[in-house]
Parts: sequence; C-alpha cells; structure tokens
Amino acid sequence: MKPAVFSYQSPRTLDEVFGELAEHGSDARVLAGGQSLIRLMNARTETPGVLVDINRIPGLDEVTVEDGVVRIGALVRQRTSEVSPVIREHTPVFSEAGAEVAHVSVRERGTVVGSIAFADPCAELPTALVALDGEIVARSTRGERVIPAEQMFLGPYRTALAEDEMAVEARLPALPTGRTGSAFLEITRRHGELPVCGVASILRLDDDGQITEARISVGAVGDRPQRARAAESALLGRTTDPEVWREAGELAAREIEPRPTVHGSSAYRRHLASVVTRRSLSRAAARALEGAHHV
Amino acid sequence: MTDTTTTDPAAATGEGFRWIGKPVKRKEDPKLVTGRATYVGDVNPPGMLHAAILASPHAHARIVSIDTSRAKALPGVVAVLTGAEAAEVVGPMTAFCAEPVPQHAIAVEKTRYWGEAVAAVAAVDRYVAEDACRLIDVEYEVLDPLVDMVEAMDPAAVKVHDTLEGNVVFHADKSYGEVDADFARADRVIRTHARWHRMGAQPIETAGAVCSWDPFTASMTIWSNSSFYNFLPWSFASMLGISTSRMRMIPCAVGGSFGSKHLLNKVIAISGALTKVTGKPVRYLEDRLENIAANDNVGCDRIYDGELAITDDGEFLSLKLHCIDDYGAYFQFGPGQHGCALAQPVGPYRINSLQYEVSAVLTNKVQQGFFRGAGADHGNFILERLVDAAADELGIDRAEIRRRNFIQPDQFPYKIPSGNVYDSGDYEGVLDRALTLADVEYWRAEQKRLRAEGRYIGIGLATCQERTAYNATEWWFLYDNPPLPATSTPESIKIDIDAFGGVRAELGCPVWGNSPQTVASQVIAEEFGIDPADVSIEHNDSTSGAISAGPGGSRLTVMLSGAARGAAGQLREKMIRIAAHAMEVSPEDVELSDGVFRPRGVPTHTGLTFADVAMKAHLFKQTNPEGESSGLVATYTYDHPLASMPTEDRKDTGAFYPIVSHACHIPIVEVDPESGLVTMLKYYAVNDCGTVMHPKLVEGQVIGGIAQGIGAALMEEYRYDEQGALISGSFREYLMPSSHEVPEIVLEHQETPSPVTPYGVKGAGEGGRLIAPTAIAAAVDDALKPFGVWIDELPMTPERLVEVIARAEDRAEDEESGR
Ligand SMILES: Cc1cc2nc3c(=O)[nH]c(=O)nc-3n(C[C@H](O)[C@H](O)[C@H](O)COP(=O)(O)OP(=O)(O)OC[C@H]3O[C@@H](n4cnc5c(N)ncnc54)[C@H](O)[C@@H]3O)c2cc1C
Repeated sequence: MKPAVFSYQSPRTLDEVFGELAEHGSDARVLAGGQSLIRLMNARTETPGVLVDINRIPGLDEVTVEDGVVRIGALVRQRTSEVSPVIREHTPVFSEAGAEVAHVSVRERGTVVGSIAFADPCAELPTALVALDGEIVARSTRGERVIPAEQMFLGPYRTALAEDEMAVEARLPALPTGRTGSAFLEITRRHGELPVCGVASILRLDDDGQITEARISVGAVGDRPQRARAAESALLGRTTDPEVWREAGELAAREIEPRPTVHGSSAYRRHLASVVTRRSLSRAAARALEGAHHV
Repeated sequence: MTDTTTTDPAAATGEGFRWIGKPVKRKEDPKLVTGRATYVGDVNPPGMLHAAILASPHAHARIVSIDTSRAKALPGVVAVLTGAEAAEVVGPMTAFCAEPVPQHAIAVEKTRYWGEAVAAVAAVDRYVAEDACRLIDVEYEVLDPLVDMVEAMDPAAVKVHDTLEGNVVFHADKSYGEVDADFARADRVIRTHARWHRMGAQPIETAGAVCSWDPFTASMTIWSNSSFYNFLPWSFASMLGISTSRMRMIPCAVGGSFGSKHLLNKVIAISGALTKVTGKPVRYLEDRLENIAANDNVGCDRIYDGELAITDDGEFLSLKLHCIDDYGAYFQFGPGQHGCALAQPVGPYRINSLQYEVSAVLTNKVQQGFFRGAGADHGNFILERLVDAAADELGIDRAEIRRRNFIQPDQFPYKIPSGNVYDSGDYEGVLDRALTLADVEYWRAEQKRLRAEGRYIGIGLATCQERTAYNATEWWFLYDNPPLPATSTPESIKIDIDAFGGVRAELGCPVWGNSPQTVASQVIAEEFGIDPADVSIEHNDSTSGAISAGPGGSRLTVMLSGAARGAAGQLREKMIRIAAHAMEVSPEDVELSDGVFRPRGVPTHTGLTFADVAMKAHLFKQTNPEGESSGLVATYTYDHPLASMPTEDRKDTGAFYPIVSHACHIPIVEVDPESGLVTMLKYYAVNDCGTVMHPKLVEGQVIGGIAQGIGAALMEEYRYDEQGALISGSFREYLMPSSHEVPEIVLEHQETPSPVTPYGVKGAGEGGRLIAPTAIAAAVDDALKPFGVWIDELPMTPERLVEVIARAEDRAEDEESGR
C-alpha cells in the first residue's frame, strides 16, 4: 500500500493551480483534505503524476453569505461547515448531513468541496447539495462557470468538472423562512460509515398546512444523488399525514435505479429508499409545522 | 502427567493467595503503550531489503508464463522470484494434513485464490518493490473458479488440486454411543439448519518476518510474529532447506493474533527465499490488503444440519450434526477445527450419544487457520439454536430447558460421548447469577412497554462451554492414519536467582496480545513471597531449548502457571535446604514468607532474607548442605495435566481439551425491522474460568471476545463475487464493530476451580467470541418474535434480517389464508 511515484506541487495562488491543471490534465489531481485521495493512491487505484496541493492557498477557507446564498470555499473543512452558525441558520439540512460524515477526525481534514468533487454516490454532502439546489463554481485558465448540483454528478466518482477545472466554491441558496422544514436521515451499517441510503428532504407548508414545495434527494441508492421528482410532485397540495409520506417513499423507491454494493443489493437499497424517504419527510414535516427550520 | 496436585478449594477461590487473583500492574504495558516494543516492522538489520508480492487477480488460473525482466531492470530492485524460482531455494509450506495438498508460499503453475502471491520482489524499499511488482508480466489461463462449497462437492466440478480425486478433501462420519437407540426412544426430533460465513482475525499488526541468511555458516536468523518458534521450529527449518541447528528464530512483539499467527509459513518462506538469493536480510511484512486477502488463517465457513432427539419433558437424548466446511484452497491443519469442535459438541448438557459428520471442501478462497474459537464457536451456535428450538417447540422457557439438562456439579469429571472430559463446573450457579445480574424481569417489562410503541427489543440467552488448554491430539484424531500423531503440548520456563536475590524468568512463549509476563511474575511472586514487580521477564528464542506450544487454544495461563510454579518450587526447595542448614533446623521446619526464611512458628526470629540465601547459594558452597550444587537455576517443562490418548478404533477421542470454562451471556438488543439494523443495548455475562488469575486480564479477554462476537453476529464477513474475487478486501467492506457498536458490558465471575490445574485456573481467551454470536442470535429472534423470525445465519446483516422478516411475514400470510 505505497503510492506510485508522483511529483508534488504546493502553489500559493489559484492561478498557479489552474496552470498546473491546464498543463497536466488527467495526470494531475487536486489534493484537498486527502481523506479519499491518499487512500486511493496508496492502493494505486489513483496514480496521478502530479499532485497539486491547494492547502497553502489563502482565502479558500471561508463561509460567507451574500444575497441569500451561502458560499463555501474549497478549503472549508467538513467540521467547520458542520458547526458553522451561518450554515445552520440558512441551510440546516447541510449541517445535519455534515454531522453524519465519517468521524470528527476525518471531518477536521476532509473538505466540503472535496467531498463534492469526489462524488462518492453514498456521500452525505452531495445528497444535501442536490436537495438544496446548490451550485458548484468551477474555474480554470479558460474562465469560470457555475454547475447546478443536479448536473454536477454524473455517476460514481464522476462529475461534470473538466480535467483542467478546479471547484473553487460550493453555493447553497438559503431555505425560505416560515413554515419550512428539512431533514437528513440515513441508514449506515456502522457508526461513521457511508450510508446504504441517505435522504435529504425539504418541505414547505402554507397556512392551511398544505404542501407548497417538496424536495427529496436520495443518496447512496443510485449511482449518484438524485431528486425523486415523481414523489415530489405527488406531495404538492397534500397535507402532512403518515400515509402521504408512505406513498411518497414508495414513489421515490420506484424512480431511483439502485446500484448494488457489498453493503446492500439493489432490492435492499430500493426498500431502504422507501423507508428512509418516508422517515425523512415525516421529520421534515414535523419541523415545518413547528414553523422553524432548526435541526 | 507432571503435576496432578489437587488444589485446596478454599485456596483456589483466591483466598489465601498473595498475588494469584490480584489485579497487579500488567507487566507488558509500559513498553506497549509507550511504543517501545519491537515488532517485526521495527527490526532493521543493516542492509535490509524490503519485499513486496504480486497478487493473483484471479481466483483460479493456470500461470502460462511470467516475465520478470522489466521488474528486474528497475533501479533499486535486487531480486525477483517467481513461484517456480522460489521453489528451488525453499520447499513447500509445512502442512499437517494427511492428504496431498501442497502449498507453496508463491504459487507454482496455478493460482488457487484471489490475492495469492505469484511473484515476489526484494528492493531497497517497499515503494520500489511495489513499483517493480507492476512491471511483472504474467500470462494467465483463467480456470473456472469454485466459489460455492456445495457446488465444489460435485464430482464433476473442476478440481482445486489435481493431486486429489475431488474437492471433498476430507470426510468423516463418526458415531459415539447408541445414537440410533436414543433417537428411537425420543418423543421428538428438533431440527435446524445453520449457516456461519467466513470471518477473519484482522489483527492490527499484519504477519511478517525478517530473514537473514549467512552463507558462510549456512545459518539463518529469523525475526517474526509466529508463535510456533519454540514448538515446531524444525518445520520452518525443513521448509527453508536449512539445518535445524543452524536456525535461530527470535520472537517479536505481536500486535494481536486472535489465533491467526501460529505458523506464518508464508511470510517466513518469502523472506527466506529472498534472503537466500540476495545474501541480504529481507523483510516481508504483509500490508493490510494482503493480510485480509491472503493471511491463510481465516475462520471456518460452515453449513450445519442439526438434529436433537428429546423427550416431551425436554430431556435431551442424542445429537446428530452434519457439517460442510469450506476450507478454501489449502488444508494446512487438516480437519483440526473439527477436532476442536469435538471438544464440546454437546455443550454443558447431558446428551448420551452423538453423530458427527463432516465434509471438508476445498474451494478457491484463502484457507482456514485457527481463529479465536477455532471451530467450537460454530459448534456452540448450532447446539444453542437446537436447544432454543426445543424450548420453543415444547413451550418451555429457554432458561428452564437448559437447567433440566445441565451436567450436575457432582458428575465431574464428566466424560462426553465422544471421549473428551470436562474437569469441573457449576452451570446452574452461573445461569442463576446471570439471570439475576441481567434483571430479566425488568427487561421483559421494558420489552412489553416498547412493543406498544412499535419498538422491538430482545433478550438473548446462551449457556456455553469454553474448552481450554488443548492437547496436540486434537489435530489428528479424526484421521485413522495421521501424518504426525504428536501427543505433547508443553510449556517451559527457566528461572534464575542471582547472588543478590534478583529473580529473572525466561519464557518459551511470546507476547501475543495476552499477558504471559504478568502471569509468570504473579506465580513466581506467589511461590517466593516476593513482589511481582521484582521479577524480570525475558523471552527465549528458538535456540534455548525452552519448548513451548505458546499461546493458542486458551492454554497459556494454565500451562505457564504450571511451568512457573514447577521451576519456582524447585528453587524454593533448594533455598529452604540452604536456609535450614544455616539456621540449623530441618528443612521441614522452615517457612518462607514475605521473602524471609524463618523457623516455622517463630515469627520473632530474624531469619534469613531471600538475598542472604541467594548469596549463600552462589558463593558459599563449603558452608551449604553437603552435595548441594552452587547457584540457583531451574528449568521446568509443564506437560498437559489431564490428557489421554485417542483409542485405536477412534470411538473415543481421549481427553484433549478437558479444562472447561463456562459462561452465560444475556445480551439485550433492539432491532429496527424496517432497516434490519440491530443495536446492542446492554450486555450481561457471568463467566466461570475457575480461579481468576487476574481480574483485569480476564475482563479484557472476555470483553474483547464479546466485541469480536458482536462483529461475528452482525457484520464481519468475507464476500467473494461469482468470479471468486474478494469484494470485502478492505475495512470499508469488511466491517468490524467499533466502540460505538459495543454496549456497556456487565461482567461477573463465578469461580469453580479446576481440580487438576495449578491454583485451579482455567483458560479464558476465547469465551467471549465462542458465546456472544449465538447469544445475540437468540436476542434477535426474541426481539422479532411477533414476526415469527428464526435466526439460522450469521452474520445477521441488515439486508439478511430484512429478508428473514419478509419471509416470515409471507409464511404467516400463507398460514392465514390456509395455503
Ligand atoms: C475513515 C473515513 C470515513 C469516511 N466516511 C465518510 C462518510 O461517512 N461520508 C462521506 O461523505 N465521506 C466519508 N469519507 C470521505 C471524506 O468525506 C473525504 O474527506 C471526502 O470524500 C473528500 O474530501 P477531501 O477534502 O478529503 O478530498 P481529497 O481526498 O483531497 O480529494 C478527493 C478527490 O476530489 C478531488 N478534489 C478535491 N478537491 C477538489 C477541488 N477543489 N476541485 C477539484 N477536485 C477536487 C481530488 O483531486 C480527489 O480526486 C470518509 C473518509 C475516511 C478516511
């Protein structure tokens, strides 16, 4: 478990990073928290010729809010994000999902953007990002573009980032205030493990308790976090009721194509999609009814 | 029998002992916790090279050709060996099976499991060695992989070994006692199936060796974490093609074994071959992935069908066990794991007769070894499941049916139908104490209350044996013509006392994660009336003559106590003779207490201190008793206190695992029936390992074993795909419990001293893991009783539980609709 030969770069500016990526293309890898990349290099699953360490670049470790959008820089650690009051206030489901990632020691190093760029289909933060209709800001020597969360994830460990692009920021639109509730819930085989199913849901109710907006993002079941659109539409106009959550869970389970792994067959994952969606919605609804979106 | 002293039962309960049974400081700890212990990875002789292996990406393939030229050309590479080349300098790995199942450390001609070594490299560091492995070009002809043991039994199946007639490498069908007659008089026969999947030890330190060949003297020095260097050192010498008298094996600290580091032929053969061809010391230390995939010592992988003949009163009459066991690609210890299971197939119960049928099957997977429990763990599972099924069918409480069938305290020594002997026990005492400790009434009330809220908690119960202190006959009595019918399982120590009274002991065994230094110092201190902290301990290498079977089979505390007491006793007698002579009294009238020799009954006498007498022994020959030699050195080898030979016709296995501990475990679990997740809420255990030598050490063993048992019950499993590729090859897929998954464990001891061992101690190394899985299975089906769930497969992964619940619900629906 020793990595293959590689050269190590530790640039101090983003422009240098873009330069390295433009020059080396698929032979280069950005090193963020290293919590996934180093393991893969040790197993020689990843054998990059050039490692571009972004950890010494100033200014990437900030969480800010602008015009109702939370911005998370490329070096914001998962732990920082999890405990950030700003994120908790505007996008509580992201904090709730963040608390389920690995263990504290891993979260102290691993970055939010690294988790998104890595695109593990089970990972919690990408699932929450998709529920929040978040965005990724990608930059290269060619310029900058903004990738909507749903277009970011193409499959297991595959994203819309080009070889020469670095993800510099994740953007999370704040949830509406008022009767909005959200919840992240997951089933893991062991504490701190990646989930076998994780569901982030967001519900908004009108004054009569009718559902006016529903968002459901199912992670770890398919080959990437996906919105359960049929279930979402079926919820509109309904009231908060256990039967409604059950129906939505069943719809969600039907629309996601499951991907088997050693921790669960397709059938089991599909079954969990239904159970966890139901439970997640029920929790989000309870929070919406309380009129606050605390976690 | 070297020592058959019967212990005074009052003394054996810990009263009257100064150090036995006391929580003295663990001698091994300071080095381990400060990182000063020397592991294989810390051994760095000058000029040492590092080895890496190229692992087979196929479960079953013929090696058509190997081209190592690109690897050899890489700067920093010193040697590259294919299996065929290595076989020219080292022989096949030692095996104790009677069948022709040769195994080479590096595969020759054919690879038989995913991850098997096909070439090895020695280079200036492990990075370069791994780079070189990727430059080795192997052409394989892929063969059909055998992944399923039942399919492998088909005579038409492709063969793992062409030297065999088929893949059923061993079959035995043994009857002990009047099985047919007992079944004929039974009111009913309880039947259950059981499936236990393959698990592994996963020690934190992997297997490794540094071998250093000296071509001038044709001698080899080996540092390794094997435990058999003082038991079967000749087997390593013959494998390495060197003279037994020119080999020195030096033990290293061992970062956990759990049974998986007995022989470790592979790492020694690979380092040994590479040092022979390079003339430089070579270290081959498996990395994590290699240890998981190719450690050669995984646990049993069994399918059972069991039948228990009973009366309507719940009396057990006879037991039939039919077992298929997937051994993987090789057969290093023969069917020894079934020898082990035959130590206690009938558990703590009076069962008159036994049929035991086993088919050992070879497949394309890494082979079995002796992993904590060593085959008796699975035996406990099938037996306890049959007992629970009997209770459920008769409507008798699960505790009550056990009570009715327990062997009674006045029936010991008790000979089980197959021949092993249980030395002592008080099973009802343990059961009663456990039921009180767990406050089962409280939990039953909780269960009822939570069910009303839609929550499912369950209370498990298992009462199992922990056979301890094995004898070597276990390995071969299932064979009619065993290749090595050894009957010794010795343990040795050397104690010397210097002229100042300093006490030093040299052990033949290594530190394997257990505590032989602490135990030896407690015994020596007890015998000499000194402080254990004043005893210094060293470990002997293989050239000392301190023959030792080492840790394994929960034997070491028992056997080492015997050795230490024997050697200390000899020295004490000698010192008493010298002291008596000096004080002009007869030796019978001298007592040794708190390190002072005095005439018996004269506490005011100034006496002679330990150091006074030691100085006399060393330097004052002329004033010592006539004929007394100078100096204070004793070596002592303790042999098994209660072993007997298997009979010629093998209808009686003889006593081979007769020091029998016992425990009752009561786990409390909660099951989420929708996700299949099991949460351990609380765990109660009452353990009886005779006299508790050291409460903290026993606690550590039992709690660690229960944690491993939780893994066995809920998550640990080797998984192979249809092609035989290992898909649980890292700790992301092979899950073990962490501290989050292990609940509070409440542990109490009952002490039923062994009548045949020093101080009445029994082994305690495996009980936690031998019992926890079956207790947790019982808890889970108790939790899911409303669904009619019956657990017969481990581990109970969430997915399996969801399936079991769905099947039970289908059954219930079918019954309701009368189909
Ligand atoms: C024991 C353990 C348990 C874990 N459990 C979980 C879990 O439960 N849930 C979970 O979600 N994750 C888990 N992880 C993974 C962890 O969250 C990682 O931190 C995360 O996947 C990657 O983030 P990183 O900053 O460490 O990225 P790195 O490991 O440095 O990089 C990962 C990949 O992303 C690329 N990358 C990183 N940053 C950028 C960027 N800004 N632009 C472009 N590409 C980039 C890298 O080139 C690399 O290919 C676990 C990890 C460990 C070690």
